[in-house]
Amino acid sequence: MSDTLPILDSADAPHIATNETIINIDDLSFSYDLGKTNTLRNISLEIPKGKVTAFIGPSGCGKSTLLRCLNRMNDLVDTAKVTTGKINILGQDINASDVDAIELRKHVGMVFQKYNPFPKSIYENVAYGLRVQGIKNKSILDQAVEESLQKSALWSEVKDRLNDSALGLSGGQQQRLCIARTIAVKPQIVLMDEPCSALDPIATARIEELIAELQQEFTIVIVTHNMQQATRVSDRTAFFYLGELIEYADTQVIFGNPSKKQTEDYVSGRFG
Amino acid sequence: MAKHFQRKGQRLLGLDKQSWIKGFFGSNAGLSIVVLFLICLFLMIEAFRFFPAHHELLKVNRQSGQEFVDHIIDEADGYQEFVSYTNQAYFAEYDERFEKERGIKDSWGALLGEIEDNGEDQIEVLEEARDGDDPAVLEKAEAEWKAFLAELTSEVDRAEIDSFNRLEEYPEAWNDLLKSALTYDPIEEETPAFVADAIKTQEEGMKSFTEAKTEITASGRALKDLRAKLVKITAQIAEDVELDKSAADRKAAILEGAKVLEGEAREAALAEAEKIVIRDEFPYAERVKPLSESKENHEKAAAELREKLTTGIAKLPTKFQSDKAAELVAKIRNGREPYLKNLDRSVQKASEWQFDEKVGFLQSIAKFFFGSKWVTNSSWTEVYGLGPLFTGSIMISLIALFVAVPLSIGAAIYVNRLATRREQTLIKPSIEMIQAIPSIVLGFFGIMVLGEVLQDLSQRPFLSWIPGFPIQDRLNALNAGLLLGLMAVPTIFTLCEDALNNVPRAFSEASLALGASKLQTVIRVVVPSAISGILAAVLLGLGRVIGETMVVLLVAGNRIAMPAWGDGVSIITQPTHTMTGIIAQEMPEVGAGTLHYRALFLVGLVLFSISLMINVGAQKIIKRLGHAS
Ligand SMILES: Nc1ncnc2c1ncn2[C@@H]1O[C@H](COP(=O)(O)OP(=O)(O)O)[C@@H](O)[C@H]1O
Ligand SMILES: [Mg+2]
Repeated sequence: MSDTLPILDSADAPHIATNETIINIDDLSFSYDLGKTNTLRNISLEIPKGKVTAFIGPSGCGKSTLLRCLNRMNDLVDTAKVTTGKINILGQDINASDVDAIELRKHVGMVFQKYNPFPKSIYENVAYGLRVQGIKNKSILDQAVEESLQKSALWSEVKDRLNDSALGLSGGQQQRLCIARTIAVKPQIVLMDEPCSALDPIATARIEELIAELQQEFTIVIVTHNMQQATRVSDRTAFFYLGELIEYADTQVIFGNPSKKQTEDYVSGRFG
Repeated sequence: MAKHFQRKGQRLLGLDKQSWIKGFFGSNAGLSIVVLFLICLFLMIEAFRFFPAHHELLKVNRQSGQEFVDHIIDEADGYQEFVSYTNQAYFAEYDERFEKERGIKDSWGALLGEIEDNGEDQIEVLEEARDGDDPAVLEKAEAEWKAFLAELTSEVDRAEIDSFNRLEEYPEAWNDLLKSALTYDPIEEETPAFVADAIKTQEEGMKSFTEAKTEITASGRALKDLRAKLVKITAQIAEDVELDKSAADRKAAILEGAKVLEGEAREAALAEAEKIVIRDEFPYAERVKPLSESKENHEKAAAELREKLTTGIAKLPTKFQSDKAAELVAKIRNGREPYLKNLDRSVQKASEWQFDEKVGFLQSIAKFFFGSKWVTNSSWTEVYGLGPLFTGSIMISLIALFVAVPLSIGAAIYVNRLATRREQTLIKPSIEMIQAIPSIVLGFFGIMVLGEVLQDLSQRPFLSWIPGFPIQDRLNALNAGLLLGLMAVPTIFTLCEDALNNVPRAFSEASLALGASKLQTVIRVVVPSAISGILAAVLLGLGRVIGETMVVLLVAGNRIAMPAWGDGVSIITQPTHTMTGIIAQEMPEVGAGTLHYRALFLVGLVLFSISLMINVGAQKIIKRLGHAS
């Protein structure tokens, strides 16, 4: 892939950023019906470590599907199947028979489109991922909860009511809580599936700020249908159409000088 | 001007089509509400009329002295239980320790009978010969007798003589017995020393036990006699009261009949009518005098019972060879204290009895709800106490829930969260299919299969540590509870599954994405979120179980008694009766309007109220907790 626009790279240079590839998708085809029809077709793409990569494309083109392949959430669908290709994350084929999806998800966290905190207290929401790993030590949990809430810019708002139900928070706060919950487990990669689509513009702006912050520590893959958002938060952008990867390049290239006609039509708002 | 908005179509009785359709559906809904209302009303009217009638019964019981005698009957029944346990323990120990001696004694008796039956002719001949003075005849008769004995002893079959097979393991004793029989003299009728020894050994061995047994048996004799005497008097009073009630009617009937009679027959009828006295009030005071006067006797008899029972029990041996005897004697020893306490209380109450004391109306209510007896098939009394039926219903329901709740919740979790599509399509309909089994079939299965299997299983020695094992009665609360549990599974399962289904997928997805396993997700997120629905499901399962009739009627064993709480957990293997069962069983036999009939209606009303409370409770839970999450 071309690295034609160095301006952005130098401006937002992530501390952990290197040219290292953290996710390597190679000729991936994926089917929801045991291979009868492929929802994703022959997708190859390398996601760099320490950067924000955006998936864009019209609704139904398979962005979420691809994202959910990355932490094997599609395992929940009985008839789901990777028909060709491989996904390597941190150098390991995640669909190999010796890979434990549970272990994988500890390294690849996910934030969902609709904020979905558990009907538990704020504290328990953040501590959940650690608790299921068997961590009971109160001081470790306390520390992790505070740190994660700090990082997700929620600490000052909730520190006095950690034991209140998470469902009492505003939508934006709930989504930030979901982010805190995800990073509490200390994943290397955070997947975000349209994390702002249910939020108002102010709450959206705060999440976008947060993404910029988190980028220093995590590799982020974000699905969005909001093109401005993609330009604001991402370093690299992949455009999908009907289950195929049309174009993948630096964000500036995709939005300023795309090489494919379909990409240009889409980013200029002519369809989708 | 043209009318744009004119209503079209025919009108019938001033109503158009739409109104008619609306009316049709509305009236269907209305009808069911009216029917429900009428049923409730009928149930309540019939049920509440129980209390005045019950009050009347209690009043008559007091006036006729039945209340007094009931105390004595209870006391004597309790005593009888001690006697029965003592006897059982005695013979258990006897058999264990003196099997051989008892075998010798009993077999000797049986053998003698055999000899006397078959040798009748020979004995007669021998007797005549001995009386006569012809030595040749005598010699021949003696020889014939010997030959008879020899033949008999060689032919006799041990299993027939020794009918309890006590000598099976003592062949030499049996041989000795036959040998002594060879020299038996039917005229002297002397018991052989060998047999006499055996008798003596056992008598001596059981001496202290025999003494204790005699004393215990004798302790309540005076009380028993008193009971017999008083029961007779009271029964007569009760009969006369009944006669008195119908006196006016009977007299009128006879006089009416006399009108068509002539001459002597007419005279006789009139005379008979004359004999019937119509009284305003039954002379209770005079009639119950013998009862009042027995109070002192009663106290004395009770005191004697207390003393002799105590000394008798103290004399019981402390070491046993038979485990059964040891167990029974322990039961006797443990039972003494509570029994004597009850005895004192009962004697005091009996002494306080006054035939003309007022019976409070509240008592007729309390006695129904808290009474521990339900007696309807005795000519002596009627007692309506909900206690045994209520505890029976609750006990069976709890057993059922104990089985059904883990089973159905487990199945619901599996199907809803862990199973594959194919498993789901297999398991769900199968569980729901349980509902299609007619309860009569389940009951039949309970009697013929489950009861047998449980009883067989309970007799295995390696399971004897389970309380209540071995099971005495094939039909019991456990058996019924297990079947009801099975019946409750579809209800609880379906509702649970719904509740789990209503937990947003987003919760479990979030949990899984955080690295939780499926099981952790279920336990930590899904179940807590569905807990209100699950609780409601359990409650509705309880409602299903408590109202079930056919299975409990067939399988619960239908013994109307409070559980013997002293037996601990093993009460679940005792037969019991239920509120639903009693209605089904007794309703067909009662006369409309009788006290018994009303009592059954009242039981029905209690059941109805319980179901109502359970349903309302379930709805409350769903509302309350449902909003919280
Ligand atoms: N669980 C599923 N089972 C079957 N088909 C699915 C499932 N999820 C998504 N699809 C289908 O896969 C296609 C891609 O969906 P998705 O990845 O959600 O698109 P996007 O996120 O780009 O809008 C759509 O046609 C959708 O109907
Ligand atoms: Mg999507």
